[in-house]
Amino acid sequence: MAATLSRQKLLREWKLYFFVVPSLVMVLVFAYFPAGSAIYHSFFEWAGGDTKQLIGFDNFRRAFHDQVLLNSFVTVSVLMVFSLFQMMPSILLAVLIHRLKSDRWQYIYRVLLVVPMIVPGLVRLFIWKFFFDPNLGVLNGVLDFTGLKSVLVALDHTFHWGVFYANVPIGWLSQPELILPSLFLWGFPWIGAVGVLIFLAGLQSIGQDVYEAAELDGIGPIGKFIYIELPLILTQIRLMLVLLIVATLGGYGLQLQLLNEYGGPGGRGMVPGLWMYNRAFYAGEFGYACAIGMIIFVFILVLTFINNRYVRVEK
Amino acid sequence: MSLPIARKSDLRHDWTKHLFILFFILIELFPLYMMFQVSFKDNATFIRSPWLPSSPVSWHWENWGFAFKLILPYIANTVFVAVTGTVCSLFLAILGAYFFARHKLPGSGLLWAAFLALMLMPGVVNITPLFMLLKSLKLLNTLWALVLVGIAGGQVFSIFVLRNFIEDLPRDLFEAAEMDGASHLQQVFNVVIPMSGPIIGTLAILSFLGMWNDFLMPLIVLRDKELFTLGVGLIYLDGEYVKQWGQIMAAYFVASIPLIIVFLFTMRLFVRGLSAGAIKG
Repeated sequence: MAATLSRQKLLREWKLYFFVVPSLVMVLVFAYFPAGSAIYHSFFEWAGGDTKQLIGFDNFRRAFHDQVLLNSFVTVSVLMVFSLFQMMPSILLAVLIHRLKSDRWQYIYRVLLVVPMIVPGLVRLFIWKFFFDPNLGVLNGVLDFTGLKSVLVALDHTFHWGVFYANVPIGWLSQPELILPSLFLWGFPWIGAVGVLIFLAGLQSIGQDVYEAAELDGIGPIGKFIYIELPLILTQIRLMLVLLIVATLGGYGLQLQLLNEYGGPGGRGMVPGLWMYNRAFYAGEFGYACAIGMIIFVFILVLTFINNRYVRVEK
Repeated sequence: MSLPIARKSDLRHDWTKHLFILFFILIELFPLYMMFQVSFKDNATFIRSPWLPSSPVSWHWENWGFAFKLILPYIANTVFVAVTGTVCSLFLAILGAYFFARHKLPGSGLLWAAFLALMLMPGVVNITPLFMLLKSLKLLNTLWALVLVGIAGGQVFSIFVLRNFIEDLPRDLFEAAEMDGASHLQQVFNVVIPMSGPIIGTLAILSFLGMWNDFLMPLIVLRDKELFTLGVGLIYLDGEYVKQWGQIMAAYFVASIPLIIVFLFTMRLFVRGLSAGAIKG
């Protein structure tokens, strides 16, 4: 019965297939074909031209002994831990805005949050590069002005980091030891408008009466967060986690622009994506770059799977 | 009687929250402030007083003249890419979403899975073979390459959101339209598009922003200076040896102007749309 019904439908509505064809063609050509091509070419030594040589798993074997690539995975793991911390201000801000009693102010703050988005992402990045400048930069200026610089110098003295000296401007992007801290600091206080708005959307279902009831029960601000707000935004936190993992693990635009194609001094900012980009477009090793791309893809897939499977959301 | 007292304590209670929020937002706006005030200084003024704006009498307007001359052609290219890309991308996505939302035809489940699987596939990882594909299609060093890649990249997310939305539209509307003999295309234009204005607007802004901010694709695709989009243009500006910070900041500001215009008209839509869309998604 169902089969005949759908056949009837098919005869009547077959023209509808033309509606999906354009997007399907676009996706096949510009997403599926490159993906297939990446798998295929990861087994070749290929400089991008017509000649290529089948070398089996050599690219992957090379990858597992490639010290730069191995280090880059360590770096990107550190960056992922950073990004967990960087998510917290957005959550805090969303909760604070939601707890405001006036709807008017809530709206005003939402709009103010969106305002920095008018700056193109790249400009934001370059402004931070300018902030990091040792002589003119804002960051060193703030550290000098607030006296935090002398604290850093004192800490350096006790722990023998050999990084901060009293009369030398701090070279945030030129000292190998400071590359990772700079990658952490950049974008402070890490408020993402999209993130905050998504968290706020999750919080929307909590009415003021819930807060009043909690207050009658004598639950403090931290208790409210743990018992009322956190459970409701777990879905959103998980969503942001997936987005962060994919963006951090596959991303390299930040490192490319803030540092250079070698990940800055000492290669301390080298991430897998950047190494893939470097191998393809600076060394012309397209086959090897495809293999690195495949490895990154597998990592993203596994991490997304773990996140969806084990970071459970209780409804 | 106790009501006014309670309200007063509420207000005082909220003030600490206001302070916290304002603190965050002020730091977040600080780069904007720096960009604006440095854009009116030459290097000497900037080094003498980096923090405070100089007096309007001594503003170096020529920085802005330089910036406009440099950035306007880039903006024109970027507007072409982002607008063409967004319009085409959304039109195709609406058609696709309509296909999935209105009828369960044989094979639509499979096609849906094919689209969803792409959500797991990070675009950046594909950049090497994508570059070779564009090369063999003779699309390197053209703006159309960016448009096409942009359209393809936007399909999955837009179709995903729009499908849910179209499925929630009242069935009666479509049935009434069918009674009147409306074809599917007419239903799309007369029922779907008028009914889904806000969600299409939100998706359009997201897609526009994505293409506007992209610099990795343009960086490998474009060679000629006349074709540069904002991303590549700014990267070249950053690569100059002697940096006139005033000129550079003015250029950054000019680069933001189109987005300022877009946001002025769509702020409400954006804030509402994103908050509402996130619940469903």
